[in-house]
Amino acid sequence: MPRYMIERTFPDGLAIPSDGNGAAACLDVVGRIADHRVTWVHSYVSEDKKTTYCVYDGPSPEAIRAAAKATGLPVDKITKVSVLDPYFHH
Amino acid sequence: MPPTELLERDAQLAALRDRLSAAAAGAGSVVFVGGEAGIGKSALVARFGAAVAREARVLVGGCDAMRTPRPLGPLVDMAPQLGSPIATLLEDAAARDRVFAHLLESFRERPTVAVFEDVHWADDATLDLLRYLGRRIGGTRALVLATYRHDEVGPRHPLRVLLGDLATAPGVDRMRVPPLTRAAVARLAAGIDADVDELLRVTAGNAFFVTEVVAAGGDRLPASVQDAVAARLARLGDDARAAVEVASVVGRVAAPDLYARLGVGGAALDAGVASGLLVEADGGLGFRHELAREAVLATVPGGRRRALHGAVLAALEDVPAGHVDLATLAHHAAEAGDADAVVRWAPAAGRHAFALGAHREAWAQFVRALPHLGRLPDDAHTELLEAYGRACDVLDLDADGRAAFRTASERWRAADRTERWADALTNVARLSIGLGENDAAEAAIAEAIDALEGLPVGPALARAYQAQASFRMLDRDLDAAIAWGERAIALATDQGEIRVLASAHNTVMASLLLKGDPTYVAHFERTIALAQEHGIAVMHANAHVNRGSGAGELHRFEEAERHLRLGLDLAERHDVESQATYARSWLGLTQMYRGAWDVVASTVEPVLRRDSSATIARIMALVALGRLRVRRGDPEADAPLDAALALALRTDTLQRLAPVRAARAEAAWYAGDLERVRAEAAAALPMALQAEHPWFVGELGYWLWRAGSRDALPLYAAAPFALQVRGRAADAAAAWTALGCPFEAARAAAESADEHDVRAAVVAFDALGARVAAQRARERLTQLGAKRIPRGPRPDTQEHPAGLTPREAEVLAGLVAGSSNAEIAARHGVSARTVEHQVSAVLAKLGVDSRAAAVAEAHRRGLVPPT
Repeated sequence: MPRYMIERTFPDGLAIPSDGNGAAACLDVVGRIADHRVTWVHSYVSEDKKTTYCVYDGPSPEAIRAAAKATGLPVDKITKVSVLDPYFHH
Repeated sequence: MPPTELLERDAQLAALRDRLSAAAAGAGSVVFVGGEAGIGKSALVARFGAAVAREARVLVGGCDAMRTPRPLGPLVDMAPQLGSPIATLLEDAAARDRVFAHLLESFRERPTVAVFEDVHWADDATLDLLRYLGRRIGGTRALVLATYRHDEVGPRHPLRVLLGDLATAPGVDRMRVPPLTRAAVARLAAGIDADVDELLRVTAGNAFFVTEVVAAGGDRLPASVQDAVAARLARLGDDARAAVEVASVVGRVAAPDLYARLGVGGAALDAGVASGLLVEADGGLGFRHELAREAVLATVPGGRRRALHGAVLAALEDVPAGHVDLATLAHHAAEAGDADAVVRWAPAAGRHAFALGAHREAWAQFVRALPHLGRLPDDAHTELLEAYGRACDVLDLDADGRAAFRTASERWRAADRTERWADALTNVARLSIGLGENDAAEAAIAEAIDALEGLPVGPALARAYQAQASFRMLDRDLDAAIAWGERAIALATDQGEIRVLASAHNTVMASLLLKGDPTYVAHFERTIALAQEHGIAVMHANAHVNRGSGAGELHRFEEAERHLRLGLDLAERHDVESQATYARSWLGLTQMYRGAWDVVASTVEPVLRRDSSATIARIMALVALGRLRVRRGDPEADAPLDAALALALRTDTLQRLAPVRAARAEAAWYAGDLERVRAEAAAALPMALQAEHPWFVGELGYWLWRAGSRDALPLYAAAPFALQVRGRAADAAAAWTALGCPFEAARAAAESADEHDVRAAVVAFDALGARVAAQRARERLTQLGAKRIPRGPRPDTQEHPAGLTPREAEVLAGLVAGSSNAEIAARHGVSARTVEHQVSAVLAKLGVDSRAAAVAEAHRRGLVPPT
């Protein structure tokens, strides 16, 4: 499955509480995107919470977008990426 | 023979029971029951059928393990139980559609279990029937069970294609029958002295294998099913063994009198049944399991096998006519190596199969007869070549088909049969087009027409005129296409040749449409009327699809979408796959142009997924996907456009190359590679100029202008592009908007020198999600010295995850902050009453019934903005 990096912008900032409600929100995302054969690997959030960089595995850019729509999350830019580890070529 | 216990199938039986209950209540379904050979699929299905025999009608039919199975074999098996009218209609190959419709009606009348065994051996007509049922089973009271050996169905197997087509059909499901566990094997082996673990290892839990070993006594574990059956066979007396061998050649359940005519006595047959290899069923005798039959057949040496096939053939030929099964006779004739018998039966079997739509089987029958053509009288020989050629045509074996028609035409010529010679040559021409050999096609059709015009007028001339018209249209030589088409219409009308007439109207319609001549509508309506009057579904669908794709080529996307949808619906309702696939590909392209970007991928995905999709459909679907990704700024735009180019180059036709090159030029533009923009556009422009195609010349010329290597377009270039090249950006944008092309309209506006227009373009690109185009437009705004550049898509133009309006979102924020209605009202300058209404709306949308619950829900969904 190809891997994609999604950049998202949240003008009001993204707020996911770090308690049970936050966990539930995250698992809700995971469940909704499974229908599109998309997996959420992990995300990086900027300090002001207005930008996130999310790593997803999925069959196509269109599936990534459909999954994003299902969760109500914005998509600014999608880039196809492959993993490069510092110790990969050791 | 004691009844075999059915172990470890309770879950499957229960699941089937549930499905039958649902079906009885009006929600029918199709279940494909898969598993290895011998795993117990038939035993499961038979047990289920017996268990429900009092609540439902149980129909059973099977597919033959023959090179050329009987067309609609399972349905023929079920015919006696189905009675009239199905049984009578089945004898008329032309009534296939009505047979299907009657069967479906019969499924609505009473709870039914219909079993189709061994569909991995299904002929094309049976596969069509399963597809037909799979799409319509929901409203019936039937449970259709189709068993198949899943390990014999590779990626290119026709059943695999069918399963893929039905993957998203609501009433269709799959069930896998698993091997037996150790416990079950132990139970079956309880009566014999065997090492259960060893038995499990050797048989891998295959039910048939286990029962074979157990029946053999288990003193020596056979290494394979073959060994186990051979061991059973070895213990039979000579007569019994001979009887079983004859049964393996006969192939399916046969009445005792057939065996008698083959010299097999009752006692020998009884011994065969006692041995467990044969069983009595449906008033006849057959093998207990197909695997046993295959294993026994493998022990019969070649010479004896051929002789047995010959004997079976002779016995079957003795049966009074009317009960003759052509496919079976042809099979035995071929296996017996009897060339005269092959020539006697295979051609007729092939024609029968072809009429029923069992195309692969028809082809295989004709292929059987090919080496022996010399035994036929001259005319029959040549006609068979033409029948084979038609089968090749339908199966897209264009080279073989053309060779057959060429030989046929030479033979007719040598026999001085001018009309038939020229008719065969017309087919040579059509297949040459399919092979991309346009010059050969032109030469052939010209020769055919020349010859036919020297004869009294007949249907062959109408066909030739129509073929010529379609070639001219494909070449976009539109005036010529119309002229030839009108001639074909005149002749076909006189002769009452309906199909040629409908095709000709279709071709003239498409040509007039592409010319921009509004009289095309009259021809369109004539085609539809003919198709409806004579029930020619493929023509009805094709007329809409042609009009839709033609309108699309002229960028008239509203008209295109309307007719493509109608065509797609008709094609799906009548199972005309090729029309459905082409309609889909063009519909995806239309949706892309109209800005409905979210649905494009799901529209074209079925086209790209099917191996069997026609090249022309695949090309347009790839262009749709490629352009979508380019316009969104998404990755992987190159792959579909590269694949499209490879295919388009093979077709070497303008109507494929131009759209592909234009899409690639656009991709290069947004990648910032001007040199490649020029190269792509220049590659197809000469062909477009030669055809004076306003739209292809328009777009390709536009890209060359943008890349700086052209400063004017020919006068006939399509208006919106012409306006852009002349610098009339606002007028161009208006023209694009009128055609329903928001992206092109924004692109035109972005080329304006007026800041106002470019600003509007930025907003439009943002709304579409055209990332790169929006960025470029913003850069242009800066260049123009604009002061306030719009930021990204504004928050309230984005959909709120819970569907709240911006005001409602603010009220929710107030609730979360613990404000009262009065406080919220004061903050926003509205009445408390208004806030009450807004709070109610928020509660409703969040699906809660109190403010506290709303706050909790807001946190749960991550809707809470930071303080």
